[in-house]
Formats: sequence, structure tokens, C-alpha cells
Amino acid sequence: MAKKLHENICDEIRFNALFKKHAKDLSNFLYYKFGDHLNPKDKTQDAFIKLWENCKKVAPDKAKSYLFTVANNLMLNEAKHHKVVLKHQQTKPKHHTNESPEFVMEEQEYMQKLQAALSNLTDAQRIAFMMNRVEGKRHKEIAELLGISTKAVEKRIYGALKKLREDIKEL
Amino acid sequence: MEQEDLIKKWLNNSLNSQEFEAFKKLEDFSELSRLDNALQQFKPQDFESNTELEKLQFALKKRTKQQNKWLKPFIQIAAILAICVGFYYFTSNLETNFNTELAQKENILLPDNTTVKLNAKSTLAFNNKNWKSSRAIDLTGEAYFKVSKGSKFTVHTSAGDISVLGTEFNIKDRDNLFEVVCYEGSVKVDYNKISRILKPGESFLVLDNKVVEKPKTKNTSPFWINNESNFKSMPYSQVLAEFERQYNVTFSVDDIDANEVFSGGFPHNNLDNALQAITIPLNLAFTKNNNKISLKRE
Repeated sequence: MAKKLHENICDEIRFNALFKKHAKDLSNFLYYKFGDHLNPKDKTQDAFIKLWENCKKVAPDKAKSYLFTVANNLMLNEAKHHKVVLKHQQTKPKHHTNESPEFVMEEQEYMQKLQAALSNLTDAQRIAFMMNRVEGKRHKEIAELLGISTKAVEKRIYGALKKLREDIKEL
Repeated sequence: MEQEDLIKKWLNNSLNSQEFEAFKKLEDFSELSRLDNALQQFKPQDFESNTELEKLQFALKKRTKQQNKWLKPFIQIAAILAICVGFYYFTSNLETNFNTELAQKENILLPDNTTVKLNAKSTLAFNNKNWKSSRAIDLTGEAYFKVSKGSKFTVHTSAGDISVLGTEFNIKDRDNLFEVVCYEGSVKVDYNKISRILKPGESFLVLDNKVVEKPKTKNTSPFWINNESNFKSMPYSQVLAEFERQYNVTFSVDDIDANEVFSGGFPHNNLDNALQAITIPLNLAFTKNNNKISLKRE
């Protein structure tokens, strides 16, 4: 067996590097999966605190999956029975607009429909789809992050898109 | 089918310019781009890795401060001490102990098949761990040994040491009395500076720190093994002391010479017979009151 370069991540520099590498992805992942009301940023912090406390037990190559599992569990403890709602940022009201009131109305309605449709996706679909559309991540990156195949990612994203379009039309 | 392929490529951001033109011409294009634009508004809040990291480091520092820094090493030291004390306590108490109370006898089989009969109010202790290298026993009180053959077998008593190879002998180590009787083989007794080897039937007796010569006995085992006590020219006080041990009683004595010699015995299983056996020869009368017995001259 090849000897590992570092036995653990109990070193501040290594730990910080790990944070910079994974924290954002983790936070966004939690947001897509559980919505905004459960504080994905706080859970990300908690997960890293837990990792630091157990730094001797967690091998470096297991750190990522450890973080995702811990954060996921922290969320699940709270998330029971909550419906996932992604919060869209408030569009700034434009003072000068040449858009007709009908158009603004229609636009707001569309956003509401989209929000509902996103909630109806499965967790797996929503996570992969949002990573792809919002962050512009490629299928391969998402596959690595979630530990699944690119084929599965593609399937999830395309499935999500199809379902969203159907839902929006129906609503 | 072509449309689906294009959409999939679009999803993977891998359309080339030619394909992108084709994609633009799809009838779904306007719907898709509208959806895509709207989705941008669902962006998660910006995640500033650096500020978040500072927050984390702050939280971690706070945590380590809260935990008492001295507590961990203190617990480690305490644990080591506890283990050491426990180990010392364990090893120093490896001695195996046997005790008999008043009016109680016990048979003991030692690891080398040596049998020991322990008379009343006696204690026997030996170290099980060292038994193979040295057969040594601590004894207070009275015991009869049938030592199996082997290396030197030593009995330490408060009065002296008795060492043998393989034999049968009785040791009696009571207040003011130390007696060793050999029944088989040979026994070596070290008492103060006196060292004597006993042959079968011979005995070594110390009364009130004085060595007393005794005639040879023909018995092959001490009387108490058969639940009897037997005395030859013993001070009466020793007889009463033995009696108290065997029956768990106390004597109160009026104007009786405790040093008067007594020859005879008493059984261990019948109090009245035993009392008669020790009183009649000296013309004494006894009255019983629970566990107290008073003796008077008739």
C-alpha cells in the first residue's frame, strides 16, 4: 500500500485549504437540497467544526465525504417535515421602467410557478440541476462532487429540466 | 431527437458555435432561455470563503478556550496513576488467605497437593504466584501439614520458621506457646538462635519463651484432627485458651492457679462432656451462662 503523504488534517494550513476547497460547494449543496430557511452556511460551519474535532480519525481522502455526510445529517435532524423552498432574490424595483404592468405581473407569476416547480423536484434532481444552471458547473464536476457517474448527472439534470417545464405549463 | 441532444449539450455548456446557432433556432429556445434567466435569481447567497473561514477559526478558538486546557493532561496523569495504584494493589494482594473463626476448622489443598488442616481462630496466607519457586506459608494459630514431596517447604510463624521437604507435622503458634510436632519425615525448626531437626514423634515446645523438652509421641496425627484436644503437662491457662477457641466461650476464673499443669483432653463436639473433662480432674465446679463459664474450686 502506498504511504499516504499526510495521515490526517489536524494541521491548520491543510485544514484551511480544505475549507477553501469544499466549503462553498457544501454550503450551496445544502441550499439546493434543503432550501434557505435552515441556514446552510451555519451547517457548513458546524460540519467543519466537527471535522476539526475529529481530524485525527478522518483520513484526508475521506474528509470531503465526511463533511457532506455530517452536514447532511445535521440538516436532516432539522429538516424533517419541512418542504424545501428555494428563496429567490428580490428583483430590485426599477424606478424607471418601460415595461407594462401586465408584463411585471406575468413575470412575478412566472417566478412563483418556478419556485413551486423547483420544490417539486426530487432532492437529487434539484441539487444536480441547480449546480449546473446556477453555478454553471459541468457534468463532470458535479459527478465528482456528488460521487456519482456523469451519466447519472446528465440524467438527473435533463429529467429536472423536463419536469420543470411540464410543471410550469400545468400551473 | 436532435432537439434533445442539443438541449443536453446546452446543459453541459458544450455547444460549439454551429450547434449554438441551431439551438437558438429551436422553438423551445425562448422558453428555455426565459427559464434559465429566471433560475439565476435562485442563486444561493454569495459564499465568501475567506470571511466564512475567519468565522470558523473564531468559533474554533472559542471552543478550545472553553475546554480547560489543563483538564486533558490532568486526566491523563490521573488515569496513569490509577492504573499504577491498581496494579500495585493487585500484585501486593496476590496472597491467598484462609481464615478460620472460633469453633471452626478448615481443610485446605495447596497448589502442590499439600493438605493443610487449619484449626480454630487461625490464619494461613501464601503467595499463589511465587508458589512454584518457593513454597512458603505465613501462619498464625494452629495447623496440621501433610507436605507433598518437592522443594523446600517453609512455614513462617511469629515465633519461628519451620522448613521441611515432605512430611507431616503440626504447628501450634498461640499466645506464649509455640509447638511443632513431627509425625513423618523430618522437620527443621528455627526458633530464635536455636535450630533443631525433629524426627517422627519428636516435638519442639516453647512455653513462655522457654524451651521445654517433651517425650516422644506415638501418635501419627495430632488429636485435634479427630476433633479432640489433648494435653500433656500443659499449664491450665493454655487448656482454657484452647477450649475458648474450640467452643467460642469465655471463662471467668476464681482463685485457680493458671499455671497448674494439666494432662488430659476434651472433645470438640460436646460442650458438657468437654467441660466435665477439664474440670473433674482438678476438682473444679462450673456454671454456664450463655457463652460465659465461671470456674470455681469445689
